Amino acid sequence: MYVYERKGPKRGVALYSYSGEFGLTKNLEECFEDIRDMGAHGIEILANTHIENYPYPTDAWVENWFRLLDKYELIPVEYGHWIDSHVIRGRELTTEESIEMLCRDLRLAHRLGFTVMRTKMPVINHKLEPVENWREIIKGALPLAEQLGLVMCPEIHTPSNLKDDMVKDYVAFIEEMGTKNFGLNIDFSVFRNKFGENERRNPEFVPNEPEDITPLLPYIYCCHAKFIHMSDDFEETTIPYPEIVKILQREGWDGYLLSEYEGADKYDDGYEVGQTLRKQHIMLKNLIGD
Amino acid sequence: MEKQVIQSVGFRNITENGKITGFQFRIRLPYYRGIFLSQIMPGTLYVDGETFTKDQISWCLNGEEYSNEQMSTDFKTHWNPLTCMVLKVRKEGGLKQGYHDLKYGFCFTSSYMPPILQDSLDPDKESFVFMPEFGHHVNERRLLIV
Repeated sequence: MYVYERKGPKRGVALYSYSGEFGLTKNLEECFEDIRDMGAHGIEILANTHIENYPYPTDAWVENWFRLLDKYELIPVEYGHWIDSHVIRGRELTTEESIEMLCRDLRLAHRLGFTVMRTKMPVINHKLEPVENWREIIKGALPLAEQLGLVMCPEIHTPSNLKDDMVKDYVAFIEEMGTKNFGLNIDFSVFRNKFGENERRNPEFVPNEPEDITPLLPYIYCCHAKFIHMSDDFEETTIPYPEIVKILQREGWDGYLLSEYEGADKYDDGYEVGQTLRKQHIMLKNLIGD
Repeated sequence: MEKQVIQSVGFRNITENGKITGFQFRIRLPYYRGIFLSQIMPGTLYVDGETFTKDQISWCLNGEEYSNEQMSTDFKTHWNPLTCMVLKVRKEGGLKQGYHDLKYGFCFTSSYMPPILQDSLDPDKESFVFMPEFGHHVNERRLLIV
């Protein structure tokens, strides 16, 4: 398997960004080559999207997966998946059923060489707070995660704030369990401090200051390098990237910044998200100095 | 696979034992991630104004056929966005030669959305706010039967 030895913040791409093109104008290999062009080495996939015959891919598919990773010098960084406790209408899955679903993903993530999982919790309200039994679900999967060397990370995404009780609860849980197999993924949408005049803005959203990430860094295994607007001179105009990257470097944080483009225009006919991603990667490459 | 939800390939009458017993068409999942069958909320099909309810339509994935009722509790079978679903509709004699206007509604639930938003989902009506991420609920296409 390809090895990328760089320490500190590293560049990667979340294949979610290709949502408007994947399966229509680009296949998995073409996405990989696009990322290789950018000189990024990390990838995040969405299990339910990018794995054929999920959750039970064939051995031939898995063999090809590793062949493509090697060919394009990519590291399987983060496995995006969902604990779908609300998968049936009318009842919530039992804790045991949710654990079973989670363990199935742990095994598959491990089979594909991943080390971090973006574990999306089922939410119960507009503040995106997780189901009440989330601790029991995670506890049930911790022994397997430990055995397979995986860390499950809920994502903290706008309109959540890094100082919310939800984040405090996750950190308290990690401390209480003394575990290295549960952590956080921070989506940089929480730092967004500029909005256009006509843009919809959640009234409950309060942007974080870049320094707010510092106390959380020991628990962060991956970040979503969210970007909203890249200018033609390669600056993100709504998220203070230079300050954020400086803090990550100062604190000696080692991990991947996975570009995730959420703009709705990626679904427009003829849109090429690869070009938008390249703009951000010019900025990230210059900030990181890789 | 075409960008439109209702695909042009796969629209034809179904013949069983020498008799035309219905017709079929193909749809893709207009969502960025795959879903389990129980997440699907099938709606109503209109062909040239004729109504077919969700219980008259079966969904076929990788050669397996599922009724609306079977799908509602099946949270183990997964529909990947790269695979089209074949919808089979029972109708004696099938559809006649020529153009047909298809209009079909379906949507799906997501565990990561607040339940209150999920409860108001209606496969036959668009969401209050259109999100390209989830596609349109109701899709239309005009296609030929030979």
